[in-house]
Amino acid sequence: MADSKDVTLKIDDRDVTVPPGTLVIEAARRMGIEVPSFCYYPGLSLQAACRMCLVEVERAPKLQTACTLVAMPGMVVRTNTEQVHQARKAMLEFLLANHPLDCPVCDKGGECELQDMAFTYGADKSRFAEEKRHRPERKWSEAVYYDAPRCILCFRCVRVCDEGMDVKALGVGQRGSQSVIIPNGEDHLDCEECGMCIDICPVGALTSGTYRYKTRPWEMKYVSTVCAHCSNGCKTTLSVRNNEILRANNRDLSGFNKEFLCVKGRFGFDFTSHPERLKLPLVRRNGHLEPASWEDAIAEASRRLAEVHKASGADSIGFIGSNRTTNEENYLLGRIARASIGTNNLDHHRTADYPSLIAALGEKAAAATVTMTQLYEADAVLLIGDDPTQQNPLVAWQIRAAIRHRGSRLYVINAKSIKLRRKAREFVEVSQGGEAAAVSWLSGSDETLDPGVAESLSALKSALEKENNVVVVFGAELTGAAVRDLVKFGASLPGQTRYMALGDYANSRGASDMGLLPHLLPGYAPLADVKAREKFGKVWGAKLTNKPGLDARGMLAAATSGKLRALYVVGANPVKTFGVNANERLGKLDLLIVHDLFLTETAKLADIVLPAAAAYEKDGSVTNTAGEVQLVRKGGDVMGTRSDFDILRIFSHQLAEHGLGQAIRLRTPEAAFDEIRQSVAGYDLSMAALLLGEAERTSPISTAGGQAKFDAPVGAIFSAHDTLFASGSLGRYCTTILSLPEAGPKTTPEAGAHS
Amino acid sequence: MSSILREAGETFVTLAKGFSVTFSNMLRKTVTENYPEEPVHFQDRYRGIHVLHRDENGLEKCVGCFLCAAACPARCIYIEAAENTDAQRISAGERYARVYNIDYSRCIFCGYCVEACPTDAITHGHGFELAPSDINALIYRKEKLLEKGTVRDVASNQLFL
Repeated sequence: MADSKDVTLKIDDRDVTVPPGTLVIEAARRMGIEVPSFCYYPGLSLQAACRMCLVEVERAPKLQTACTLVAMPGMVVRTNTEQVHQARKAMLEFLLANHPLDCPVCDKGGECELQDMAFTYGADKSRFAEEKRHRPERKWSEAVYYDAPRCILCFRCVRVCDEGMDVKALGVGQRGSQSVIIPNGEDHLDCEECGMCIDICPVGALTSGTYRYKTRPWEMKYVSTVCAHCSNGCKTTLSVRNNEILRANNRDLSGFNKEFLCVKGRFGFDFTSHPERLKLPLVRRNGHLEPASWEDAIAEASRRLAEVHKASGADSIGFIGSNRTTNEENYLLGRIARASIGTNNLDHHRTADYPSLIAALGEKAAAATVTMTQLYEADAVLLIGDDPTQQNPLVAWQIRAAIRHRGSRLYVINAKSIKLRRKAREFVEVSQGGEAAAVSWLSGSDETLDPGVAESLSALKSALEKENNVVVVFGAELTGAAVRDLVKFGASLPGQTRYMALGDYANSRGASDMGLLPHLLPGYAPLADVKAREKFGKVWGAKLTNKPGLDARGMLAAATSGKLRALYVVGANPVKTFGVNANERLGKLDLLIVHDLFLTETAKLADIVLPAAAAYEKDGSVTNTAGEVQLVRKGGDVMGTRSDFDILRIFSHQLAEHGLGQAIRLRTPEAAFDEIRQSVAGYDLSMAALLLGEAERTSPISTAGGQAKFDAPVGAIFSAHDTLFASGSLGRYCTTILSLPEAGPKTTPEAGAHS
Repeated sequence: MSSILREAGETFVTLAKGFSVTFSNMLRKTVTENYPEEPVHFQDRYRGIHVLHRDENGLEKCVGCFLCAAACPARCIYIEAAENTDAQRISAGERYARVYNIDYSRCIFCGYCVEACPTDAITHGHGFELAPSDINALIYRKEKLLEKGTVRDVASNQLFL
């Protein structure tokens, strides 16, 4: 719709109307006219370094750079004249003066912007007789290599590192044609190793240490899926050759993260081909885990589980799910626990209090939570706890972009001086673990705080009261009653207040949504709700019990005391996560079944270990911390493994043969997702949008009403505080990430990070 | 009578004509190849089994750029590339072909790979005796395609095999 302030100009004899402030290059692109450029990159500051975008403007004495020229009313621009063609040709000749002709060797060959431009606009000959200047290639880190002669000095890398990442690790040295990009550590990089500079480089000057010289772009197939690490749900494109993942970058710029990926998203895919990957089921015989066939392992697992069920009852069996497996797999696990076995001993490692947030928001839950895109659109962000730069890199990226592009304000309450502090308008430093008390104080309780903290909190409060649109982002520091207080404080603010809870892992939110919790059914339906129990009982073909179940810590304690006889663990490492003494077998368990990629501390104690497929090796859906559902696609394949979905489905058939529950007849993750869409509140999402690769936000509504309880036991919800270079159990097998100096001293899988 | 004489004359002419071809060819170089008793002679441009060449220092000319594989209409070339290191230098460029296979059960000897090669690393040789009893033997590995040669250590100017 044309606004009265909109500007109409003429480009190549066609009229175009654009909002005021639009650059000519953008206006031309909107019309489908390609104006070539290297240094111009949407979202970064303007540089006008490459001079490729020169266009003819009527009544201007010389050619103008379209990337810095703001569209004005009545402007007449021509992009297709002889003069412009000559200019482009000459510019390319200059750019190629020192650029080596090593395209056959260069990693960028085939997807290189300079190659494409030289092909489209360039001259076929160079008039330069001088020898090309050569400089040796530099290894800046295990992840980033710099080949100076290939560099065309567009400074995209410098700008993305400074503006986008706020790391400022790259700069320009020397001047004129002698200019080079230099890293902050003189001969090496000391940074977040996000690899954004590699991704954004239009030529092959910056190349990836993991992908170098392995293959060529046209030799691979590309699978667009969701990153397997943190809970932000960035889209990533896996480059796959011979079923092996060779590269991850968001090649198609799809998803809410666009070009952004952090070090884990970009380099943390090599766990899939780690030599310690389990490829055969293991069964404990005479005290040792020995390889077995899939048939034997699953048959034995289900037989022994049925025996425990018969001897000690349903409540002697516990289930610990994963926050990495897909929604479908979590849903199936919940169904096996509740319908096939008939117990509510079901939990996972909770890293954010989603149930409390949804319960506190009540019917407003859908409208009062934000997506990653809405976070960028917020006028003000209040960040309580967490360190998004380390734990939720996309959230940090979105906040920085909002501040940079839109002038948004950031307010931080944290016990640590986190990196985002430098972007914050107000920073309130609370004592270690003091975030909940600060929120309670803000909500109007008579909490006694340190006078200094109280003073800065009241300054923060009055600043927030002037904002019309606040997004509150909080970490695992706020749980239970603190979340309720937070929502109470939010409601007291005059402007619109919306929320985002930050979890740790790729499907932390999905595990919660799918009801891997002792007290909640899928879609946050309370166990006490008879109607909800009847609904799921009908779908699952069983009568569901409302007998309260044990949470993860409760199950582990019951295992030690002998009350729990069997434990079924899917993609989790509770021994490490919950700090169980691993020296003795898990208490007096008769049976411990574990699905995992690797022989984790928990898997080492197991009676039966089933080798599972990684997130990059299966189809399904995951939900990010903002509640946005996206489909994951199978990229690689590792022979011998099976997806958790397959394992659970086969398992349900075996259990049915032993008289436990009904076999699961959902053959594919798509079929399971159809059932989820029908039965789980908030998951009735547009399948068309999901299939197109878009993110669809769930809108769960807590049906608990006034009955909602905010009394999660202490220690039930906690973050692992993984840094950029750690990712729970998986992080210990990401060889490239561990080889980076920023990842700290070399860790062996034994001494690795938390689960 | 005259008809008999004419007939004899005509016969003689015909025979002379015929034998002139025979005798003139008897003096020519033979065209027939006595394969397999004798080696076969080829035109220079004959497109036989490929040869991967080495440069003057004995390093492999192939830099593993995959352009031959991209040009191949039969998709018979399979490459895995890797990076040269200072300790182990295989080709002159940064990259070399760690694996280079040609599947001769698919190759149609069109020569597009030779045309595509930016470093003149691959050419058609004159080998043609391909028939094996096992089809797997038709996949030629790099070791089999690579020109025999010596590698010169550039630093010490030493030749070694």
